[in-house]
Amino acid sequence: MGQIEWAMWANEQALASGLILITGGIVATAGQFTSWWFGAYSIVAGVFICLLEYPRGKRRKGSTMERCGQKYLTKVVKVLGPLSRNYYIRAVLHLGLSVPAGFLLATILGTACLAIASSIYLLAAFHGEQWTPIEPKPKERPQPQG
Amino acid sequence: MAFFHWENYFCCRGPWRRQLDKNLKFHKLVAYGIAINATIHIVAHLCNLERYRWSQSTEAEGLLAALAKLGKTPNESYLNPIRTFHTNTITVLLTTIAGVTGLIISLAFILIMTSSTEFIRQVSYELFWYTHHVFIIFFVSLAIHGVLFCFVLMASRIVRGQTPESQLLHNVTFCKDRYAQWQTAAQCPTPQFSGKEPSAWKWVLGPVVLYTCERIIRFWRFRQEVVITKVVSHPSGVLELHMKKRNFKMAPGQYVLIQCPSISWLEWHPFTLTSAPQENFFSVHIRVAGDWTEALCKAFGAGGQARKESWSLPRLAVDGPFGTALTDVFHYPVSVCVAAGIGVTPFASLLKSIWYRCESHPQLKLSKVYFYWICRDPRAFEWFADLLLSLETLMSERGKAHFLSYHIFLTNWDENQAVHIALHWDANTDVITGLKQKTFYGRPDWNHEFRQMAYTHPSSNIGVFFCGPKALSKTLQRMCRLYSSADPRGVHFYYHKESF
Repeated sequence: MGQIEWAMWANEQALASGLILITGGIVATAGQFTSWWFGAYSIVAGVFICLLEYPRGKRRKGSTMERCGQKYLTKVVKVLGPLSRNYYIRAVLHLGLSVPAGFLLATILGTACLAIASSIYLLAAFHGEQWTPIEPKPKERPQPQG
Repeated sequence: MAFFHWENYFCCRGPWRRQLDKNLKFHKLVAYGIAINATIHIVAHLCNLERYRWSQSTEAEGLLAALAKLGKTPNESYLNPIRTFHTNTITVLLTTIAGVTGLIISLAFILIMTSSTEFIRQVSYELFWYTHHVFIIFFVSLAIHGVLFCFVLMASRIVRGQTPESQLLHNVTFCKDRYAQWQTAAQCPTPQFSGKEPSAWKWVLGPVVLYTCERIIRFWRFRQEVVITKVVSHPSGVLELHMKKRNFKMAPGQYVLIQCPSISWLEWHPFTLTSAPQENFFSVHIRVAGDWTEALCKAFGAGGQARKESWSLPRLAVDGPFGTALTDVFHYPVSVCVAAGIGVTPFASLLKSIWYRCESHPQLKLSKVYFYWICRDPRAFEWFADLLLSLETLMSERGKAHFLSYHIFLTNWDENQAVHIALHWDANTDVITGLKQKTFYGRPDWNHEFRQMAYTHPSSNIGVFFCGPKALSKTLQRMCRLYSSADPRGVHFYYHKESF
């Protein structure tokens, strides 16, 4: 399949999982389901995952499409250093975060999706990928109209 | 969708065909619809299951408790699929067919969605393409999700409802408030329940049959022979292939799907047709943009390698043609064609077609064509510049030098180029393209262009055709609205957009 950058897909999957966790968590907490505290946990975990995954990493080749307004979060995620750069750590982190949500039916889909994202990150880490922040380019000289 | 295109090209004309040809937009719309409805469905079931379970608890009261208690004595049929308070809903999910298939469907759908975002399609088209085939798991699980699986085991039939016989005896509207008297009162005998008839298969059957037909057609087309009559390797990494296939009929602006079994059995890639329908072959121009195109160009001997013999060329399979035809251009007395970047390819076919039509029908309704080409790097499209050059020569030979007026805009240039251009400004032909009409630098001033056209053709209907990025499409639409006159006899601009 050629040079696929697995981390790009893992990032999309993790972001989607975060959103699903938040949704499931809201349903469980608002509906006061049995063991709804897992729902509350899912909301917090989901928000954390969304914030972590929102800034897209730079592709190895070619230009990367930035997400709207991601430069603010890029600064924060960059500060974490190797914790955010290394995809092995991200894979383990996501796997760990997904486990508690698996105890509630409303959030079990989020668990499954996050576990899949974690395995894709593991694959990306095997391929030696890592997260590089997208730095703003130096301003280009404006060209006069011909 | 491909099935519909093929059928409709031969059968339908007019606005219906264009509606069905917006296949990608429709597909995405349906996908979003499925996502929204699936979310509602899942949330509803979650709340429902929780309600079933809670109604079995000792704290539950009212109608809910009465309904939950049904089925505990031998002659009663039960309504609540969750029989005790201590049932874990997760166990229900994982041990019932509906639950497991529901989970599989959701996961399959989410995987498809996350690998289909625009970014992933750009980064790795193959990942998008192969993951999309998970839809097979999606549809199979969907059919099982509600269907009677009677060959292997009894139907799950979790959702239950009152039997029709019971509905005659036990009137729901009257009896629902009198749940304490169900066993005693004559008007409200205990209601009887059974599992609901599965009906999901009725919805799924239609589209699945249509899709199977489409794949069968594609397989049949795959078996048809495609003869490669000419291979041209352009210096800018563009491969031009001339091919012939039996009963192949096309219109300008359409595209084909090409497969090369020796590179990959599963990949079909779309390419716009660049030949005119009047020619006895069809052609595509393939630019190296990824693994598959790179492998194809290498297999055809592009990139300065030794010439390949015709028997050593790889076999190709072609499916199509699909897509909206640009033939509306001929319905207007004046047509404006705007191409940005790679959007120029359908116009190659169109311009050639216009030339052939001029030759065979001297009395064409179309009398003037304006062509705008906005490009960052003309070297990638010098094959197109060659085409314009040959058209320019042919038109002036026929005395129709004013039929086609084209403007090329280079939006990306540097200091060296600027100096070079300035030095050769007074030459007869353009220094970059070699054409008589000079290249402009920077972006076009659309206000000026449209004003000029409205002035030159004060009472005509002008068709505007565009292929390229969305931002420019919005600008052109605005221009069309702005410069169309309110007077019905005045100039009117009609906007048509091609999306690829």
